[in-house]
Parts: sequence; structure tokens; C-alpha cells
Amino acid sequence: MVLWIVIGVVAVVLVWLVFTYNRLIRLRNESEQGYSSIDIQLKRRADLIPNLVETVKAYAAHERAVFDDVTEARARTLAAGSVGDAVAAEQQMRGALGRLFAVAEAYPQLRASENFQQLQEELSDTEDKIAAARRYYNNVVRRFNTAQQTLPTSLLAGPLGFRPREFFELEDEGDRAPARVEL
Amino acid sequence: MTLQEQIRSNRIRTGVVLLGFAVLALAFVAVVAGAYDPGIAGVVGVVAIVYGLFSWFAAGRMIAAASGAHPVTKAEQPELYRVLENVAIAAGLTKTPDLYMIDDASPNAFAAGRNPEHAYVAVTTGLVALLDERELEGVLAHEVAHIRNRDVRLMSLAAVLVGVIALASDMLMRITIFGGGDRREGGLGAFGAIIGIVAALLAPIGAALLQMALSRRREYLADASAVETTGDAEGLARALAALRDDHRPLQKVTRATAHMYIESPLRDHKGLRSSLGGLFDTHPPLEDRIRVLEQMGGFTVSQA
Repeated sequence: MVLWIVIGVVAVVLVWLVFTYNRLIRLRNESEQGYSSIDIQLKRRADLIPNLVETVKAYAAHERAVFDDVTEARARTLAAGSVGDAVAAEQQMRGALGRLFAVAEAYPQLRASENFQQLQEELSDTEDKIAAARRYYNNVVRRFNTAQQTLPTSLLAGPLGFRPREFFELEDEGDRAPARVEL
Repeated sequence: MTLQEQIRSNRIRTGVVLLGFAVLALAFVAVVAGAYDPGIAGVVGVVAIVYGLFSWFAAGRMIAAASGAHPVTKAEQPELYRVLENVAIAAGLTKTPDLYMIDDASPNAFAAGRNPEHAYVAVTTGLVALLDERELEGVLAHEVAHIRNRDVRLMSLAAVLVGVIALASDMLMRITIFGGGDRREGGLGAFGAIIGIVAALLAPIGAALLQMALSRRREYLADASAVETTGDAEGLARALAALRDDHRPLQKVTRATAHMYIESPLRDHKGLRSSLGGLFDTHPPLEDRIRVLEQMGGFTVSQA
């Protein structure tokens, strides 16, 4: 009798272990997938930058500091090895692009050029997609981290080598206030 | 119920639907084999299976044809397409669903397809005309949520299986009525006719049951997932309010596809429905859905 109870308890614990482990693995995979989706969009934008810089340079060649800024931010984005690096690079990129477009404001001919308008449009499309990919990533990471921090999963997460992931959050977040969603 | 639990529950439901259908089909074949002969049962069975497989892979196109939806390219609808792309990324889909349009002034939308890789979102021209970009984003996020939650797969499967039952019973009716001289005994012909009629009745009942199996809670869940995706409960709530205040019925809609839309396209057929207390409604009242969204976001949209 006692033996059966012991076997039953062990079986239940084993099943729980397997389910919890699988859930954590799935969340980790999803957050990795989410991060690579951000990465794809960041690279897509990085591909637009040289063209953009050349276009603006053709009208405003002497604004060298701004161009260097953007180019440096681009290099940092491409070299980013962690979420923290990527966030810092993104922060710098936002400031640099803001200054670049502020410069462009002063050149009506540049603003009127079709090439520039098209680049601007593609850039804003990519920014929207970066924002969308970040939202997905942050949602998944929130779920992943919560799972690791709440009982009973937290008993397992540490020993099994799961670590909370960093959010991809920017400082001057102009995003809409997130709604609290209980799924 | 979390999203993962919902997806798992949809997998289980899909399995139950398939199993129930297999049992039904076996019973059907056994009865036919008894009433006619194994040869006819075999022919009916093979035709039904081939038809079922064919329509499973063509389900998306068949639903599009039934609802009058046609694909549009990114070049034709650049803004709408962009919103859909962004919503798909934010929902974590690996592929943006295709975009279909229905030329109809009534605002409505649905999603279809057998899996997230072969899915599309269909919107009416009326929806695009009525809603602003923020509201459209909410509606598209709701449809994308149906795709991600695998609701769409279950619905497509239901539609296909109902079609298979209908085809098999139709064949039996014809065999019974026009049946040639190789029928073994006269008495069985009448018996077969009864079976045929019973089977023909089974198809629409099966359809109604399957639609109800796709519970109305799914709509609330798709709303909640949409808000998680866009971070904007108010946009979706305003879209739903706009749908509530619009009373133009869809031109091309059948009972078979009614359950797929974001808002019931049959809403103006009130008589029977209200007397049954909403038992056969495929959607919860828009008012309730708007209220849930208002609670999430802490705002109110204008009352009707």
C-alpha cells in the first residue's frame, strides 16, 4: 500500500517535471525566435542607412558629424552581441536618425527628391516593424520570466539552467501605454 | 485560460472532432454495406475520402469562393498590407497571412486557412472605408489571433467534414432513387432510402453542433490576444462599436461560414435567434465584448 502511494507520488512528480521543463524550453525558444525577428528588422534598417546617408550627403555634404553618428550607430547595431548592446545601439540610432532628419528639414530640394521620400517611407515602415517585433519579444519574455519566478516552476528553473531574459525596452518610450491583459 | 492552453485545447478538440467523425463514418459505411452491398459502400467511402482530402487542401479557396473574397496584392493595398504585416510580426507569426478583400459595403472580416502558413485574412471594402487605421489594426489583430490560436484550423476542418457528410449522404440518396438493377432485394431499397434521408438530415445538424463546439469564448480570447498584440484595447473597442452601429447585412454569406466572421453577419435575422435566448449564436454580443475591452484599458467608448 505504502509502496503504491510512493510510486504514485513519484509518477506525479515526474510528469510535472516533464511538463514544466517542456514549457520552459518552449518559452525560451519563443523568446529566441522573438529576438531574431527583431534582429531581422534591425538588419533591414541597417541596409537602408548607407543609401540614406549618401542621399542626404548629396545635398548637405558639410554635416559630417551627423553622418558619422548614424554610421557609428549602424555599426554598433550590427555588432551587438547581447540584448543590452542592441538596446544601447538602438538608443543611439534613434537619436542619430532624429538629428539626420532634422538636418534634412533645412533642405527643401532634398525633401522634395523622390529617392529621399522613398527612403523615408521605407525607414518608417521598418521602424513600425521593429516596434511590432519588440512588442512580441517583450510579451514572450514577460511570460518566460514570470514562469521562472513563480512557484512551483521557480523551484526547477534555476537548477535546470534557465535564466531570465532582458527586455528590449527603450528609455524615452513613446509607445502607447500597455494594457493589462490577463490571458 | 492562457493562450498555450487554448492552443492545446484546440488540438484536443480537433482530435475529438476527427475521432467522432471517424466513428460516424464507419457506422455509415457499415450500414450502407448491410443495406446495399460492400462494393457500393467501398465506392462511397473512397469518393468521400478523396473529396475530403481534396477539400482540406482547398478549404481556404472554397471558403473564399463562398464568401466572395479575392486576394489583393501589396501594391494594391499598401497601407492595409503594412498594418497586417506589423500585426503578424507582433503576434509572432513567422509568415504574414495573405490579404483578401470582399466587395461589400457591410463592414466585416474573417480569417481562414488550414494552418498559420496557409492562412489569409479577408476584410470587406466596407470595413476599410468605415474604420481608421488604429481600429483596422485592432480588427486585423483579432483575425491574426484566430490564426495563431489555431481557431481557424478547427473551423476549416469542421466545414470540410460537414461537406464530406453531405456528399456521402447525397450519393446514397441518388443511388437509392436512381439505383440500377443490381440491388439485391426490393425491401432493402426502402430501408436504404430511409438511411439516405437520415444521413442527409445528419449533415446540417452536424454543422450546427460543430459550430457550437467552437465556443463563443474564443471570440473573447481572440480579443484579448489582439490587445496583447497591439497594446491598444481602445482601437479594437472603437472598431467593435463601429460594427455595432452599422446595420448593413453582408450580401454573400451562408450559415456554413457565419461563425468565421469577427461579428455575426446574420445579426439582423433576429426572430428565431432571440426566442432561443442566443443558444445558437456564434458570437457573444458586441456590447459585452466592448465592456471587457473597456475594463482592460480603463476607457469608455461612446454608447449606441
